[in-house]
Amino acid sequence: MWWARARLRTKIFIAFSSLIIAVLLATLGFTQIVVSREAERTLDRELLTTGEVFAALLKERGARLQTNSILLASDFALKSAVATHFDPSTYEPATLASAAQSWQERIGVDLFWITDEIGTVLVASSQKDRSGEGIEDLSPLKEAIETEEPAAGIAEIDGQLFQLVAVPVFAPDAIGFLLLGEAVDDRLAGRLKGSTGTDVSFLTRERVYASSWPADRRGGAIPSQDARATLLASRTRTTSTFTAADERFQSLIVPVDSHLPQPLFALMQRSYDAALAPLRALQRRIVIIGTAGLLGALLIGVGLAGGIIAPLQGLVAGMREVLRGNLQYRSRIERHDELGFIAKSFNEMIDGLEERELIRDTFGRFVSHNVAEAVLTGRVPLQGERREVSILFQDIRGFTSLSERLDPAVLLRLLNQFFTEVVAAVEAEGGVVKQFLGDGVMALFGAPQPYADHAERAVRAALGIVDRLKGLNETLAQEGIGPLEIGVGIHSGTVVAGLIGPDNRIEYGVVGDAVNVASRVESLTREMQATILVSRDISTQLGPAFTLGCTASMPVKGKSQPVEVVEVLALCQPVDSSAPP
Amino acid sequence: MQALKVLLTVLGMATLASNAGARTVSGQVLGQDGKPIANAVVFVQEPASLPPAATASPAIMDQFNKTFVPEMLPIAVGTQVRFPNRDQIRHHVYSFSRPKRFELPLYKGEDAPPVLFDKPGVVKIGCNIHDWMSAIILVLPNDHFAVTKEDGTFTLPSLGAGTYTITAWHSQSKDKTEDVAQHITIADQDPQLSFKLSLAPARSRPATRGARWDE
Repeated sequence: MWWARARLRTKIFIAFSSLIIAVLLATLGFTQIVVSREAERTLDRELLTTGEVFAALLKERGARLQTNSILLASDFALKSAVATHFDPSTYEPATLASAAQSWQERIGVDLFWITDEIGTVLVASSQKDRSGEGIEDLSPLKEAIETEEPAAGIAEIDGQLFQLVAVPVFAPDAIGFLLLGEAVDDRLAGRLKGSTGTDVSFLTRERVYASSWPADRRGGAIPSQDARATLLASRTRTTSTFTAADERFQSLIVPVDSHLPQPLFALMQRSYDAALAPLRALQRRIVIIGTAGLLGALLIGVGLAGGIIAPLQGLVAGMREVLRGNLQYRSRIERHDELGFIAKSFNEMIDGLEERELIRDTFGRFVSHNVAEAVLTGRVPLQGERREVSILFQDIRGFTSLSERLDPAVLLRLLNQFFTEVVAAVEAEGGVVKQFLGDGVMALFGAPQPYADHAERAVRAALGIVDRLKGLNETLAQEGIGPLEIGVGIHSGTVVAGLIGPDNRIEYGVVGDAVNVASRVESLTREMQATILVSRDISTQLGPAFTLGCTASMPVKGKSQPVEVVEVLALCQPVDSSAPP
Repeated sequence: MQALKVLLTVLGMATLASNAGARTVSGQVLGQDGKPIANAVVFVQEPASLPPAATASPAIMDQFNKTFVPEMLPIAVGTQVRFPNRDQIRHHVYSFSRPKRFELPLYKGEDAPPVLFDKPGVVKIGCNIHDWMSAIILVLPNDHFAVTKEDGTFTLPSLGAGTYTITAWHSQSKDKTEDVAQHITIADQDPQLSFKLSLAPARSRPATRGARWDE
């Protein structure tokens, strides 16, 4: 696993950054949802308000236009001027046109036409001369003629939309009609936008009549003819989102009463993207904060990992030192956190190791290393155990006369040199020197460390002692000390092994008849003039490599039956002193 | 001048002669639904010129309580009409109608001079300062006319033997007078005439188009 192999620094960084990225994404997502929903709601609200403002504006404009028109139509001078058309002899169109211009300026309308009582144009504020033209079918004039009441409506004149009012001129009955209009043009759309902030376009499926959008943006902002067809058919009076060219809009389509052949609509738009601009700014800030957080995570990762890794590396180095045997090493980390606790435990562990090493060292001077190890590691059961072992007894011949001849210090040095060799030979075969008996030793094979080949090990150790003695004798010869001769007796059998003695003088020992027999076998070496003598129990366990000498059946003290013993002469192959214990 | 006197004497005698065999034309004006129409005017359209049926007296259209009284005044052409104002406020009486265009700027009482209606036709009268005040002066070719009563009946002043075109007019009538005119020949009995008019629904103002009767 990559993760398992990853460094702590990487792990901390990845963990922190994952958390930050997750929080960042969640925040971004959450703000996106909440803010865009809120923006949509606000847009809808604003659009609906604009729709109401728009309807109110149109209504108010129409009402004002109508009031003004009625007031103007009641003007006696106007009545009397309009009435002049009844008498062709005195009627002067130019005078009426001039007066009409004055009235138009007086009430400030975009369109000012006067017709006679049946809808024939007398005066028209238009480019082309329309006098004499019958416009009785033009709404709303048509309704006004039919009802002799003021009528209003939006209609197209010369390709331009007008909010029109037609009022009769009564003198006292209708002698003509005023047709007055305010242009529904870009200016009106612009005014609406100015007061509501919403873009407004007046359009039918076929045509866009006016819009607050600047000419260069209309193509991108107003839906195309095809899109309008579906939009106008399905989405009137409710807000909806649509994308025109490259921008998203929230829009409201309000039907406008008109006298056009196709239904007229006011399309109100607010840019969705513009409304979301604060959200984008917020998100940018969140991303910046998040990035700073990530950098922080990187720094924290590095710092925190450094704070953990450096002491850990120190501890690892310390462990290696301890592994190499340097028990003087101590961690110098002084902290009050877990690392400090680890360092303290580490130091305590080394203290323990050192103490045990000291104990083993000291212990090993008095007992065999194998015993010391077995006791220290708890491999010696307190209640004792039965073991199949080989017991080796060794003795120096003629030691009594030697001790009388030699200086005590020389004697002790000689003994120590000898025992060093003996111990080395015994331990080389995994045996344990159980006891020093003056000039001899007692050694155990198979306890406390159990060995299946304890007999062969014991015999090899005996041969090893003999072999080592040759080298020692050569050294002694140089000092003028005669060669030492020894006897080694070995026997095997079942003994009870365990810790023996009172609590303050406890020692590892074995108890059993086999121990006595082994000692007797060693005694027989003198009678038989043999160096190494083993009981039959041992010889039967030896492989063919061992060269055996004569066999004898000897009576021994304390035994009713004679003991059968065999002399061991040599081992075919050289004694392997490096064999594992 | 002497010759003229002789001519007038001869004509006067002729008139008297025709009056000798005078007949009374009467009848009823009904709507399309058969209901009688009141306040319709029945008059002799042809011949336009007839001997006066009565001594001419000046016609009067009062203004009382900011209303013209009567609201419809039939007169023979050549009649002068006075517009006395009986209100305590002034009125500005005017007409832009083709047969007679006149204006009597703000006045009170009898201050305004009489107005001579010298062309036949419908003259619509208004007050410049009171939009709702309106009236019609129906200027007829002669004084042989009658206003129908509530039951729609009328009786024209007596006519001598001869051929006449008689028609009916109403302020709400959609029919032109030519279209409802009847041609009768008066001999030795009193003719009975019945007119049928289509009326437009009553409006707060006088009708405009169909009811216009002018040259």
